Amino acid sequence: MRSLAVLAGLALLGAMAFTIFSFSAAPSEAPVAQAAPAAETLQERLRRLPGDHRGWAELASQYVDQARITGDPSYYTKAEGAIATAAKLRAGDDAVLTGQAALAAGRHEFADAVRLAERAVSVNPYGAAAYGVLADARTQLGDLRGARRAVDRMMDLRPGVAAFARASYAAELRGDLAGARKYLEMAEDDAWSPADVAYARYYLGELALHSGDLATAADWYAKALQAYPAYPPALAGQARTAALSGRLTEALTLYDTVVERLPLPQYLIEQGETRIKAGQAPDWTLLRAQRKLFQAAGVRDDLTWAEFEADHGDPASAVEHARAEYARNPNLVAADALAWALFKAGRPADALPYAKKATATGWRNPLLTYHRARIEQALGRPVKVDAGFDPTLPALARFS
Amino acid sequence: MELRINRRALVGLGLAAAVAASSLAVLRTDSGIASSHREAPMIAGDPQHDNTDVYAFVSPDKADTVTLLANWIPFEEPQGGPNFYPFATRSRYNIKIDNDGDARPDITYEWTFRNEDKRGTTTFLYNNGPVTSLDDPNLLFRQRYTLRKITPGGTRTLVGDGIVAPSNVGPASMPDYGTLRAQSLRSLPGGGKVFAGQSDEAFFLDLRVFDLLYGGNLSEVGQDTAKGYNVNTVAIQVPAKELALKGDVRRNPVIGICSTTDKFNGSRYVQVSRLCNPLVNEVVSPAGLKDAFNALPPEKDADVAPLVKRVTDPEVARLLEAVYGIKAPATPRNDLVEIFLTGIAKQNGPIKADLNSQVLNKDAGKLRPSEMLRLNMAVPPAKDPNRLGVLAGDLQGFPNGRRLSDDVVDIALQAVAGAALTGKLVPGLTDKVDGNDKPFLQSFPYIPLPSNVAVNRR
Repeated sequence: MRSLAVLAGLALLGAMAFTIFSFSAAPSEAPVAQAAPAAETLQERLRRLPGDHRGWAELASQYVDQARITGDPSYYTKAEGAIATAAKLRAGDDAVLTGQAALAAGRHEFADAVRLAERAVSVNPYGAAAYGVLADARTQLGDLRGARRAVDRMMDLRPGVAAFARASYAAELRGDLAGARKYLEMAEDDAWSPADVAYARYYLGELALHSGDLATAADWYAKALQAYPAYPPALAGQARTAALSGRLTEALTLYDTVVERLPLPQYLIEQGETRIKAGQAPDWTLLRAQRKLFQAAGVRDDLTWAEFEADHGDPASAVEHARAEYARNPNLVAADALAWALFKAGRPADALPYAKKATATGWRNPLLTYHRARIEQALGRPVKVDAGFDPTLPALARFS
Repeated sequence: MELRINRRALVGLGLAAAVAASSLAVLRTDSGIASSHREAPMIAGDPQHDNTDVYAFVSPDKADTVTLLANWIPFEEPQGGPNFYPFATRSRYNIKIDNDGDARPDITYEWTFRNEDKRGTTTFLYNNGPVTSLDDPNLLFRQRYTLRKITPGGTRTLVGDGIVAPSNVGPASMPDYGTLRAQSLRSLPGGGKVFAGQSDEAFFLDLRVFDLLYGGNLSEVGQDTAKGYNVNTVAIQVPAKELALKGDVRRNPVIGICSTTDKFNGSRYVQVSRLCNPLVNEVVSPAGLKDAFNALPPEKDADVAPLVKRVTDPEVARLLEAVYGIKAPATPRNDLVEIFLTGIAKQNGPIKADLNSQVLNKDAGKLRPSEMLRLNMAVPPAKDPNRLGVLAGDLQGFPNGRRLSDDVVDIALQAVAGAALTGKLVPGLTDKVDGNDKPFLQSFPYIPLPSNVAVNRR
């Protein structure tokens, strides 16, 4: 089916010097677009046709995707403007509901995301995108079975990068490493846009990294950068591989580039740990600044701070954050964060049930395994702590 | 709000600007990406499975044969290297024929593709010198195809090692592209021909005509928005008797045609795209139904009430009345039901013609309404084809099958405005694009060679 969205998405990757407010006002007598619609961006189309509610919803979804690709959260604000316009035009439309769900998920409002995605699905049972949001949000809320149902439906409707990536993650969380790899390979084979190719290759790298195969991981990160140069996650992956291989100078040089492009807390913590490993003092200045900004803005990202405080700060504060996160999003990662925070606060007995929860599905995540082993050790149980795991670089094992 | 950030410390890190950029957003209650939250693309662009057009016509130079042609990958920009535009290799590209009217395929022609990639790791280029033949060693990447014919009686491989005509890389690399096209044509046992490869986007239209649905207007139209782009085509020409029910074109002249694309999801093939009549999304299938429509086989159409309702009471007709004062015919629009869902026959509805419904096949059973392109193979090729087809009295044109030169946008607009009922064309109702920029060819596969000039250079 002929659709302009494919190109609009690519066009969006170009200049983004555009604000949503520029035409939420009544359009003046705009000149007829001279560009052929094939080359017309979604933004140009909406300038010409401000009544196209599905166009607005599509634009919002594209912005959410840009936030994912670039890591720049200001796209969420743009998405909000676009989806508000769409909702004013046609509130119950499935594309509008799906856009709203995607935005909520992007902002970690997972319960809202589930509610909105379920509404979208009831309006349009064939909408693959809504099932994708549903799968993501249910995963975050710890409902792995519900997430799998959504993924299966997505796989039956529109097998492709979006569905394969989610099927891979679901398999990984079940401990099915071969399945996780198979689906990512399918995603890589299927990917068409450079960003999608890079995405699939990056996660193939992550999968290799977490199973201890650094050479394969490095290879995938390099291939991801071939497809989409300057893709920050793949750069971070290269930094991780270097650090875990003991090439600390190279890793720190890479981290400098990564955080200059994208100073996400996750990358800043990895950089700090690598510095400690290299015998330097970590500089948490930027991280604390980011954190203050997040708090001032009322953003809830307790997970990052639970993990950070447990490893590098105040365990009591870590427990507080971890409890708050687990109350909202009782997923495997949150359970692990709470277990580790309690352990660091000197309460291994309280920690154990959460460590068990975190490892209950068979997910083979070296960090989770290590945390549980340390907790069991402290309780005097006979366990083997993985000698291959580097406890000085926990953040590098944490991602995704 | 006052923020106390130690700016000096940040400058020392050379990061002030980066923080400022990402933190401005944070002030608007945006979180960044937390480590707990794996994010995946919502919907990835997938043009390889995007089925853009289907054509079916009695071959103008061989009246005892029928040509079936379908296109994928819209808006291929010429010179879109390094990988250009291959077909997907884990998918099935189908053209399906229903010759007894039960909405189920009686014959499926199925193309599957595989890569022959000699590029190794040293180059990503498609070719390393001029390509003068399909076997030229300079051509480093090409695709082969298998064509199978699937009937209730079983499956036959018609072609096991077809070669796809490659993407047109440009005049320096492919000085005589016509030779490559000619070499890629294959003969079939029993007197047919088959083709797979790149071609010109022969669909001429101004898509913006359908912006009516969103408050656009007809005064803005008049440019061929597909001009200069390429597509990927599969085409097959077979004797009409091969397609007719019981092999008897005289008794059973009508066939229904659909094109679908199936994609492998790891355990089974699922249909991700479907196209039968042109412009079905613009005229018939409302936006919210598009996903369902792409997934549904035609035999389920009749059960989808919103789809049928959209045919009997089309939004476009009401908009034409509201915007241009073109009186919308009374609903339910049984004339459109004939055009889109049953085929045109006197017994099917108000249009007074026996043209292209499977009910006209003497050996057919009960008709199950379904959206498909319907062709009466007994109507001979027009000597002087009219772009408005049946509405202009040229019975060989759309909606009786679809020729490359049929102006389906104008025909669809006229049909929605009631021209098939009144027998009169509505003046001024047009997208103002009446023909393709490149002439169609006189022999199979008829669709012009692909362009090799960037669209913005034309």
